[in-house]
Amino acid sequence: MMEEKVLEILEEYCEEALDYTGDNMMEEGVIDSFTVINIVSELEDAFDIEIDAKYVVAENFRNKEAIIELVARLVEE
Amino acid sequence: MQFLSANFVILWVISFALYYLAPVKRQWMILAVASGLFYVAGTGGLPVGLLLTGAGAYACGLYLKRSLEAQKAALSDLADKERKKAVKVGFERRRKRVQILYFVLSLGILLGTKYMVVILPFLQKAGLTTPLGDTFFARVVMPLGISFYTLTAIGYVVDVGREQCRAQENPVRLFLFLAYFPAITQGPFNRYAKLQGELERAHVFDYERMLFGVQRFVWGAFKKLVIADRINLFVGNVFGSVSEGVPGSIYALAVVLYMLQLYADFSGYMDMALGISETFDICLPENFKRPYFSKSVAEFWRRWHITLGTWFKDYVMFSFIMSGTGRKIGKNAKKRWPGMGKHVTGIMGTMLVWLLTGMWHGRTVSYLLWGVYYGVIMCVSLVLEAQYGVWREKLHIREGKVYGFLTMARTWVIVFLADVLIRSESLAQAVGIYRALLLDFRLKEGILNVTSYGLSKYGFLLLAAVCLLWLAVSVWEERGKDVRRMLAACPLALRWCCYYGVALILLISGIYGGSYDTAAFLYQSF
Repeated sequence: MMEEKVLEILEEYCEEALDYTGDNMMEEGVIDSFTVINIVSELEDAFDIEIDAKYVVAENFRNKEAIIELVARLVEE
Repeated sequence: MQFLSANFVILWVISFALYYLAPVKRQWMILAVASGLFYVAGTGGLPVGLLLTGAGAYACGLYLKRSLEAQKAALSDLADKERKKAVKVGFERRRKRVQILYFVLSLGILLGTKYMVVILPFLQKAGLTTPLGDTFFARVVMPLGISFYTLTAIGYVVDVGREQCRAQENPVRLFLFLAYFPAITQGPFNRYAKLQGELERAHVFDYERMLFGVQRFVWGAFKKLVIADRINLFVGNVFGSVSEGVPGSIYALAVVLYMLQLYADFSGYMDMALGISETFDICLPENFKRPYFSKSVAEFWRRWHITLGTWFKDYVMFSFIMSGTGRKIGKNAKKRWPGMGKHVTGIMGTMLVWLLTGMWHGRTVSYLLWGVYYGVIMCVSLVLEAQYGVWREKLHIREGKVYGFLTMARTWVIVFLADVLIRSESLAQAVGIYRALLLDFRLKEGILNVTSYGLSKYGFLLLAAVCLLWLAVSVWEERGKDVRRMLAACPLALRWCCYYGVALILLISGIYGGSYDTAAFLYQSF
């Protein structure tokens, strides 16, 4: 359920992220900082979490799996 | 001390020899001493502002480390969730206060030194000169590379606070990270977690690595002396002359050449810095990825001065947007303007970063306008990005080679217009140049008089030839080829012909000594 919602948000803001298979979306320009901000805001609203600036790093946005992993971790906290 | 000086080469060779002779556990000390010597020899004085910024980062890092440890200990004793949250918030608030205090101190020193040049003439007019004279300010208060040093120190403090690295207990090791000599004057910006790992590991001499490092240094010197400084002969004369009378066509050529000069100069410096570091087996982050192949301005800035862009994005943009104020603005905007409101925080963050980037590059209104120009273009293109796809489909535009080239040309035009602002001697001159480009182009007169601005026919021909060589190397790299490895795989005779060829052009056609002076690196003044 949680995974589906994250993918839904990604589809809305950055469809290319769904097909991306590498491990550095931000550096490779698949996802720009502007889109990251929108995705973070949507994720916060959808899961009632607060994503601190320290989590908004290339490592946590390297691919869709990393984003799902980050959300799962923050929901658990 | 400049990279292109005999003193630097002596320092490099001696520290290189001692570095590989020293026990591996002591290698970092050789680099620390070399960095100290590079710095003192470069400024000729005691860098007070720099020491204060470094000492502050050290103390702040240790405080954050102790606070995080104390927080963990306090939380482990608590079972109640609410109480835990309250204790955590208390610790975080105290850490934030200390960090803010440090940012105010270090940025105060940075801004004070940067704007001292503006303030000093007013003080002198008012008769308020320091008893130690201007040299005191130039050498002690305004040390070399303080901008890079300060932002690196701030990045370190933020990373420790975010638990992305552990605070350094040894002040000399921290000094080495902040003032590592290949990167101190113009970058690249280093992240503590990455560079510290490089500085701490054992380094064994490797002939091929040394050769590759020296090759990269020579290639950087080639770009600087043969391309950038040659272009400077023309560009300097065009922009230095009285605006009236210079045809728009000459200005157009001067701005195009300035685009190449800036790139050759700065990326040349980076090649030298990364090459020097490579000889010490220390990998620094790449700062350029052939930006003129970019198909959009956003891509251009992902490929140009990469480490400055990521610094502003990670430490300013995201920090602002994820702060209480940023979130509040974002939520209100979403409620007020459903649809477009979601872009408000992104627009604010982008504009903030570009205003700061403008201020970082220069102290004049032209630089502020330059920042606003790029900020607006970035925001418009990012907001309309989805729409572009719809328009392309409606107009049946295929993304083939021609389309790719046209998008690249669009990027060049946008950069061209911005570079008029920052290369002009004043805002009035920039306005005059825009006017000449539109209303006073005089192409024929420009072609006839092109050699009367400091660069002869031979100079232009040589410039065209070396630029073609540079383009060929860039195209290979863009296709994912490692040119140095390609060269290394060539037959011995061909390989050494290439080495000697580049070295000969550098020695014969480099702009240095005699009637010319090697121009200072352009980014050094930013």
